Amino acid sequence: MFKSLNLGVAAIALAMSGAVSAGPLGIGSTATAEMIAGWDIDIRPDGTGLPEGQGSVADGEGLYEAKCASCHGLFGEGAGRWPVLAGGEGTLDTLHPEKTVGSYWPYASTLWDYIHRAMPYPAPQSLTDDEVYAISAYVLYLNDIVDEDFVATKESFAQVKMPNEPNFYIDNRPDVQNTRCMEDCADPSEFTIVATVNGVTPTGHFKEDSGVAANHYGGDEPKAAAVEVALSDAATAGQAVYDKACQACHNMGIAGAPKVGDAGAWVDRIATGMESLHSNAINGYQGPNGVMPAKGGNMSLSDDEVKNAVAYMVESSR
Amino acid sequence: MSSIRIKAKDRKGLVDVKCLMKHNMETGLRKDKSGKKIPEHWIQDVSAESNGKVVFSAAFNTSISKDPYLSFAFSGKKGDSLKISWKDNTGVTDSAETVIK
Repeated sequence: MFKSLNLGVAAIALAMSGAVSAGPLGIGSTATAEMIAGWDIDIRPDGTGLPEGQGSVADGEGLYEAKCASCHGLFGEGAGRWPVLAGGEGTLDTLHPEKTVGSYWPYASTLWDYIHRAMPYPAPQSLTDDEVYAISAYVLYLNDIVDEDFVATKESFAQVKMPNEPNFYIDNRPDVQNTRCMEDCADPSEFTIVATVNGVTPTGHFKEDSGVAANHYGGDEPKAAAVEVALSDAATAGQAVYDKACQACHNMGIAGAPKVGDAGAWVDRIATGMESLHSNAINGYQGPNGVMPAKGGNMSLSDDEVKNAVAYMVESSR
Repeated sequence: MSSIRIKAKDRKGLVDVKCLMKHNMETGLRKDKSGKKIPEHWIQDVSAESNGKVVFSAAFNTSISKDPYLSFAFSGKKGDSLKISWKDNTGVTDSAETVIK
C-alpha cells in the first residue's frame, strides 16, 4: 500500500520537473545557457560583464530628468530623503559624511550594475543597455568625474577612475590574533575547568600557569563554587524536588523566602525544629517574615517529598 | 568646471530656471576638530542675466545652506541666453552660461 503510494508521488514529481538531472540525487535540472545569462548580470570593477552599447552625457540628461530626477533631484542632490547622488566631496572624515557616487563609491562599474539591476525604482531592469550607459554617464557628469562630451561605451566606461578609489584597501588582517601553539604546549588531558559561569567562557585554562585569569576579558570574577556539603539520603532525594518546586523563591529570596546557603537567614528557623519547618512547608506560612504557599504551590507533591526538600535546604544552609 | 549647474526651460513663455551652486556657505560660527573657528565663506550676491538684462538678483547670507539650490521663473523664450553669477564674501566670483531650452 505505502509502496504504491510513494511511486505515485515520484511519478508526479517527475512529470513536474520535466528534464531530470543525472546527478547523484536525481532531482533538479541543469541550467541552460540562457538561464545562466539571465542571472549572470554582475559588472566587475575592471569592466568585466559590460555589454556592447553606448550612451552620452547629453543622451543621459533627458533620460535622467524623465526617469531619475523625481527622486534623486535634477542635480543629484536628492529629493526629500531619497539617495543623494552627487556632491559631498571631502566630507567623509567629517561629522556628517555624505556618501555619494562621487564622494564615496570606489568603482564606476557599480553604477552600471546597480542602475541596470535595480533602477528605476518602480520598474527595475526596464532600461536598455544604451540607456543605462547614458544615465551612468550623466551621473558621472553630475559628479564632475567626466566632461560634458563624454560618451560611455564598453571601453570608455571601464576606464573611468573614481576619486575615492585609493581610500579603499584590502583588509589583510588575519582571522584570529592568537598564533597556534606548535611546541611545548599544554596537554589537553590535564586541562581542568576552573570556573563555569553562565555566559562566560573561561580562557585562562589553556595553558597551566599562564598567568592569564579566566576573566581577563573584563568579565566578573568567577563565582566561587558552592561548598560541597555532605547530604543525607533524604536531602539528596529532596534536591530534585527543590529544583522543581522551591528554587523559584528560595534561590533568589523572593517573598521573604530564606535563600539556600544563607546560613544567617536559616539559623533561627532551624532552631524552631524540623517539625515546625515541615509544617510550614506542607501547610504554608504567612507571617511577618514572608509568605510561603503550601508545598511551594505544587500540591501534587507528597508530604515526604516536601520533607526531603526541606532537608536539602536545611542541610545546604547550615 | 563651473561651480554652477543650470537647467532653464521655456514653458509657454515662462522660463523655469533651476540651478545648483557648489559652495561651502560657511557661517563662521562652526568650529573645526581642534576647536578653531572655521572662517566665514558664503555667497553674498547672486544675479541672473538673460540677453544682457538682469532678470533675477538675490542677496544671500549665512542662513542659506551649503550648495544652494535656487529655482525661479521669468518671462523669456527658448534660445535666449541665461547667465548666472555669484560673488562671495571673500571676493571670489563664478558664473555659468547656458541657452534656454
